[in-house]
Amino acid sequence: MTVRKEKAERLADEELMPLIGEKDPEAFEVFYDRHGGVAYSLAYRIVGEKAAAEDVTQEAFISIWKSGARFDRARGSVRSWMLSIVRNRAIDALRSRAGKAPKLSFDDDAILEQRPSEELTDAEAMRRETATELRGALGELPGEQSKVIELAYFGGFSQSEISRMLGVPLGTVKGRMRLGLEKIRGELAEGLA
Amino acid sequence: MTETNHERWSEDVAAYLLGALEPDEATVLERHAEGCERCRAEIRWMTPAVDALPESVERLEPPRELRERVMAEVRFDAEPENVFKDDPAAAGVFARASNWLRELGSGPMGLRPVVGFAAAILVVAAVAGFAIGGGIGGGSGGGGTSTVVAGTAPGVTAKVISTDGSGTLHLANVKQLPSDRVLEAWVQREGEVEPVEALFVPDRKGKASTELPDMSGVEVVMVTTEPQGGSKAPTSAPIITISTQ
Repeated sequence: MTVRKEKAERLADEELMPLIGEKDPEAFEVFYDRHGGVAYSLAYRIVGEKAAAEDVTQEAFISIWKSGARFDRARGSVRSWMLSIVRNRAIDALRSRAGKAPKLSFDDDAILEQRPSEELTDAEAMRRETATELRGALGELPGEQSKVIELAYFGGFSQSEISRMLGVPLGTVKGRMRLGLEKIRGELAEGLA
Repeated sequence: MTETNHERWSEDVAAYLLGALEPDEATVLERHAEGCERCRAEIRWMTPAVDALPESVERLEPPRELRERVMAEVRFDAEPENVFKDDPAAAGVFARASNWLRELGSGPMGLRPVVGFAAAILVVAAVAGFAIGGGIGGGSGGGGTSTVVAGTAPGVTAKVISTDGSGTLHLANVKQLPSDRVLEAWVQREGEVEPVEALFVPDRKGKASTELPDMSGVEVVMVTTEPQGGSKAPTSAPIITISTQ
């Protein structure tokens, strides 16, 4: 490992971004190692195929490499920004595939069959623990609320599309989304944050 | 718009954060929020809930090859001259492949120079060695493999195995093609490009292969996507280019 990479590993994401903006591959390598797992996992969760998830992840990271300097820390964390890029590209990929329905369940056998990482950093281990707790919180939402959230976030459907799909008034969809997010937010405020 | 009609917009905040508003609806809400502190406060409050959604996904281990591909592209984009610094033979072959493509761009076939070609060279020395295992430029002589690969399709790797004057081209990580497109291989001898007769398509795993019946004097092999039935001259930028010398 080079000295530059060792130094980059000690930097926070927000400190890595200027280096990535200056086209520092070692800073980007640290960035990839830090977030590649969750990015790929999110892409797979949305597109439901390994090959497509790889394409989405690769395109998202290369896009970040080419546009790293445009990260605006006023708009949130680097990780959230990166995941929003992955999500948008995955939704685009999903929409471009005719006739493929999004996956709607958090409990997916195909995902569970995947081999988990054997070596985890402390930070990643904590994130996975948090992920488990978050899944628990989401699992406790009333089904009608979790369904509209999943259809919107992981399926890329608009509220109008969801309204038609579920055969419920638009106002009901809005209300379920709001209630669901408020409950998740409440759980976060109580201890997951 | 002011805070006086906040309630009307407030009910769309959750959908906005979930990406469930139509683009024009989202734009209107953003404009309203610029002048509505209550909406901005709601957005700030609820944003962590949406940020938590991707974090809740079951974690998978991304394939090692994905990291290799991403970093190969990044390193080449950052320092193309250093990619082949430890392998002069690879650098030479790479340069020849690049020149050949540039000549194609201005040649009689009318191919435009590949936009961003330099940035799109993905399979570099380290990756080629990993993916192909035959060694850069190690393809002369009977039964050798030829390796240096350049192209416009992210992640595609290739090898040519030549035996007794003929060869087989193997590709991996090729995206699925539309039903009206096929892969067509081309060979260059003494500066002349000619098609390889057999057309081919990738299988479900993205692997594709075709026979190269006559490898004598072949300097470069490339693959393009062409309409069903093939073309007499390439009509698209190569997805992969392999120098055999």
